[in-house]
Amino acid sequence: MFNQNVLNPILESIDSFSNRNAFVINEESHSYLELSKHISKIRTEIQNTKFTGKNIGLVANDDIETYASIIAIWLEGFAYVPIHPKHPVKRGNEIIEQAKINIIIDSSESSIYPETQTIQSRFLKFEQYNLKLKEIDESELAYILFTSGSTGKPKGVQITRLNVGAFMEAFWVIGFDISESDRCLQCFDLTFDVSVQSYLTPLCKGACAYTIPHDQIKYNYASVILEEEKITFAAMAPSMVRFYRPYFDEIDLPYMRYNILTAEASPLDLVEEWSSCVPNAEIFDLYGPTEATIYCTYNRYEREKPNKQLNGMLSIGKPFNGIDIVIKDEENNLLEKNIKGELCVAGNQVTVGYWENESKNKEAFIQLNINGLERIFYRTGDACYIDDDGDLMLSGRLDYQVKIQGYRIELGEIEHHAREFLNGHNAVALAFSNQLGTTELALFIEGELLDQDSLVNYLKSKMPHYMVPLKYYVETEFPLNANGKVDRNKLHTKL
Amino acid sequence: MGKEELQSKLTAIFQKTFNDESLELSDELTANDVENWDSLSHMILIAEVENSFSIKFKLKDLNKMRNVGDMLNIIESKL
Repeated sequence: MFNQNVLNPILESIDSFSNRNAFVINEESHSYLELSKHISKIRTEIQNTKFTGKNIGLVANDDIETYASIIAIWLEGFAYVPIHPKHPVKRGNEIIEQAKINIIIDSSESSIYPETQTIQSRFLKFEQYNLKLKEIDESELAYILFTSGSTGKPKGVQITRLNVGAFMEAFWVIGFDISESDRCLQCFDLTFDVSVQSYLTPLCKGACAYTIPHDQIKYNYASVILEEEKITFAAMAPSMVRFYRPYFDEIDLPYMRYNILTAEASPLDLVEEWSSCVPNAEIFDLYGPTEATIYCTYNRYEREKPNKQLNGMLSIGKPFNGIDIVIKDEENNLLEKNIKGELCVAGNQVTVGYWENESKNKEAFIQLNINGLERIFYRTGDACYIDDDGDLMLSGRLDYQVKIQGYRIELGEIEHHAREFLNGHNAVALAFSNQLGTTELALFIEGELLDQDSLVNYLKSKMPHYMVPLKYYVETEFPLNANGKVDRNKLHTKL
Repeated sequence: MGKEELQSKLTAIFQKTFNDESLELSDELTANDVENWDSLSHMILIAEVENSFSIKFKLKDLNKMRNVGDMLNIIESKL
């Protein structure tokens, strides 16, 4: 399925459209021919290098070598584990250790993880084409993405070749008619799985991907690209659209054909207003946890017609082909239509589990009996109900996970690191909606905080910057609720 | 408002937004030099600047801002 739905289409694009652009990165164009040379040289180097294991660390730079590395790694049957160059080195080292990474591909000038064996891709020379397909078992991994974990350690979501192959097949069924003349936006970090859809959609059809350089303010740069490059296909987070809201009267993107909103719930009023900026686009809301490979439900927004919503958020629609969904209560009873419970998903897109993390796997997966068949479901942690038409209505999280700019964050991880710095003094992280309507993080500290700057610097050394709270409050004692737990709601009112 | 006054007012906004009292502004300073300066904090920063100076940016203004010097010039042109 992976060769058929992913690698074969990419090789066909290289064959048929060698002179067309595969990528435009930082205003520089790279043709499919050039891409194929980068893939070949990196693949040859992987073949000539001795290393253990099947996971290859990939420093997630924004350049042609990094994208070519992904395809080279896949052609050899290995998995890539993206490590963000702007995240703390400590976090990168933790990922390297956890995933037992023995080799890293890094396109940077000088290697960021010099203690690990590194292929410095920018210095390799192309000698000959090396693009032949190999038969690789579908159960081999395609990538591992590490996400925030409440114990302070990031957890790795393993995605197999079967998972990605099944995703691409189901994705095209929705009806995206992409050809070599399309221009597609890739505005997501490679550490985030919507990036996989954002580069595979163009590469599988011979179209061109436009990326965002890391040293740019993403939303501003993207707005210029959207207009000047006449982007026709774009997956974006609603927070990006919210950023543009004050400027909607300046934005006109008539070339946009398909506009996907994803990574967070989509406010219906925002989508309605935005729709006039993309007058010719079909707008979709796509939902999915990383564990079910990028997206697993979809809803097509209807212009000038009522759209289903819950608490102002657009319905996440119906499951992808091949995805089964159920709603269950806390005792694992299956729930009827219109009753809210936890959304659970099964199918070929669903991960086999977290990388070497038995305790987390026990929590996150559940065996359910569906019509006499035992099946393994992934528990999304999202509260949903299914309406009479079979549409899914999403009402929020069951736990302390929040989304910041589309990144899924465990508040527990922030609290864990803060408590460590505070020698065990209690700390509570809260997400709140600021005046602009975007989600921001605040940290409450019990007792006293002698040196806020040191705390902030400590948190910055442990977590990506988007996880470091911008606001800090000190309380002599935290309010408790009836169960003797910290009353988070009461703390919330102090914001 | 003189250039100096403008700069000190803007410095205070930056320090507050990025939670860093030691942050000093120079014309060449870009998002790349400040750790927390990403799309989210940029949005907060822009809103703070608009409120403090009682001005309103256009999206085109924002896209022209490559560094703090650009920002100062654009603010000045709107006062």
